Amino acid sequence: MSVQPVRPVQSPIKRTQWTSIGGGRVPSAGQVLTYAVLIGLTIVVLAPVVWAVLSSFKTQSELAQRPPALLPSSLAPTNYTEALSSFDFGLYLQNSVIVTVGATLLTVVVNTMCAYGLAKYNFRGRDVLFLVVLGTIMIPLQLIFIPVYQMAAQLGLVNSLWGLIIPPAATPTGVFLLRQYMLGIPDDLIEAARIDGAGEFRIFARIVVPLCGAALAVVTIFSVMWRWNDFLWPLIISQDPEKYTLPVALAQFNSQLSVPFNYILAMSVVSMIPVVVIFLLLQRHIVRGIANTGFK
Amino acid sequence: MSSAHARRVKPWNQRLAPYLFILPNMLIFGLFVVYPAINNFNISLYDSRNGRDFTFVGGANYQELLSSEAFWSAARATVVFAVCFVVLTTVLSVALALLLNRRIKGRAFFRTVFFLPVVLSPVVVGLIWGWIFDRGNGLLNTVLTRIGLGQPGWLVDGGLAMTVVIFVGLWMHIGFYILIILAGLQGIDPTYYEAARMDGATSWQQLRRITLPLLRPTTMVVVILSLIAGFQAFDYIWTLTGGGPIGATTLMVQYIYENAFQSPIRYGLAAAASVVLFITVFALTLLNFLYGRRKEAT
Repeated sequence: MSVQPVRPVQSPIKRTQWTSIGGGRVPSAGQVLTYAVLIGLTIVVLAPVVWAVLSSFKTQSELAQRPPALLPSSLAPTNYTEALSSFDFGLYLQNSVIVTVGATLLTVVVNTMCAYGLAKYNFRGRDVLFLVVLGTIMIPLQLIFIPVYQMAAQLGLVNSLWGLIIPPAATPTGVFLLRQYMLGIPDDLIEAARIDGAGEFRIFARIVVPLCGAALAVVTIFSVMWRWNDFLWPLIISQDPEKYTLPVALAQFNSQLSVPFNYILAMSVVSMIPVVVIFLLLQRHIVRGIANTGFK
Repeated sequence: MSSAHARRVKPWNQRLAPYLFILPNMLIFGLFVVYPAINNFNISLYDSRNGRDFTFVGGANYQELLSSEAFWSAARATVVFAVCFVVLTTVLSVALALLLNRRIKGRAFFRTVFFLPVVLSPVVVGLIWGWIFDRGNGLLNTVLTRIGLGQPGWLVDGGLAMTVVIFVGLWMHIGFYILIILAGLQGIDPTYYEAARMDGATSWQQLRRITLPLLRPTTMVVVILSLIAGFQAFDYIWTLTGGGPIGATTLMVQYIYENAFQSPIRYGLAAAASVVLFITVFALTLLNFLYGRRKEAT
C-alpha cells in the first residue's frame, strides 16, 4: 500500500469524504440518486410481501378479479380459519412447530457440548475432529441427500418427525461459532472450579453455558429459521401427508392445485410471521452471527 | 494449556469427559454427514430397480449421464444460473453496501428491509413470485398490460423463466451478501482515506485504489458463498417454475431429486450426478480459495 496511514485529522472540507454525502443543507445529485435507488429497491423488496399479505384476506372471486383491487373488501380472517378447518393445515403447522422446537433444542444441546469438548480440553484427535467439522460446512445436504436418505431409511426415520429432527441437528456452523466463543472463556475459571471439587459436567452446565448467552442466542435463532423454512429434507422424509411440515404442504398443494389459492396465501403468511417477528426483534444477533461466521 | 498442566496426569474423569462431550454431536455427524458423503461415491457405482436389488455396474451410471440429454440440460441450466447469480450478487452486493455505508438517513431501515427476504421461507417466496409473474392473472402483467407493454410469458418462455429464477434468487439472497460486504467495509482503517484526501485523491480514486482492493478478501467470500449457493439452488425454484418450462429451469439438485425420488427411481444415476455436482462445487471453492491466496500474496 503506497499511502501511509496518518493520524486521523478532522478534514476541513467534509464534502470530499467519499463515504459521506456532505453535511450541506441542499441535497446533492449523488444524495438524491442514492435515495432514489434505495427507495426503489425498498419497494421491489416489500411490494410482493405486502401484496401477498393484503391478498391473503381476499375471497377467491376477489383474487380472480381483473384488474385486482388493492385492498380486500374485509379484513375478516376467513381464509385463515377456513384453511385450518377444511384442510389439515393445523396439523402441518403443529408438525412444523414440533420439528422446529425439537431440532433446535437438540442442536443447541449437542452443538454446545461438542464445542466445549473441542474448545476446553486437550485430547488425542481433537484437531483432526475439528477440521472434519469445519470441512463438512462444504458438504450441505443438497449434495449428499441420497445416502443420507438411505441412512434415515435404515434407521426407520422416514415418515417420522424424528427423521426431521435428528439428522440436521449437528450443524457444523453452530459448533464452530460456539467453539470460537468458548475459546474466550479463561481456563483459570474452569481450573478454579475443578479445585473447588466441581465435576466436569457441572462446570460445563453451571459455569460455561451461562457465559455463552450471546453465542447460544445466535445458534438458536439460526436453527429456528433453518428448520422452520427447511424444504428439501422434509420433502424427502415426509412422504405421508400426515407428516408434512408447512412448507412441504404449501408446495405440494400449490402444485396439485388441490387447495384454493386464497388458503395457500393465508398459510404462506402464517409461515412468514414467526421468522419475520424473530428477525425484527433479534436482528442484532443475526447480523452478528453472519459477520462472525458467514452463515445464514 | 501450559506444558506443566499437560504433563501432570489428569484424573480419569477429565480424560474421559471431552469424548463424552463431543459424542452426541459426532454420532449424528458421522451417521448423517460423514458416512453418507463417502457412501455417495459407492452408491453411484450401483444400479437399482425401484430403490432395491442393487447391482454393481462400475462407471455405467456416469457413462449414462454423459449421454443423457436431461443431465446436460440440467448441467447447462445450473452453470448459466450459477454464473449469472455469482456475478450479479457480487456486483450488486458491493454497490448496495457502498450506498448503505454512506452517511444517509434511514440506513438501519434500508438494511433491515434488504435483509428481510433472507429469513422468509424459500417455498413461500417462490410461490408468491410465481403468482406475481403468472402470465394471465399475475400482478406484473396486469400492470404491464395497463401501460401497454403486453403480457410476456414470464414462466412460459425458457429464457424469460431463467431470468425470473435469477431475479428471485437475487431478491431473496442479496441482503445476506450486503451484510457481509458491510462488515468488510467497516473493517477498513479510516486513516487510509484521511491520507488519500490529504494527497488530493478524488472519491473515485479512493474507491478504486483503497476501498475495492482492501475489500477484496471480503468480496472473495461473497464469490465463494454465492457460488456454493448457486450450484445448490432448488427450493424456491420448485414452487416458482417447478423446473419448467420443459426443464429450462431444472437445475442439478432438482435433477438429482427427481431421479432419486420420482418413478422410475434411479438411485445410482442420481448419486452419480450428485458426485459430479459435489466435485464441481469442491473444485470451484478450492480454485477460488487458491486464487484469493495468490492475489493476497502479490
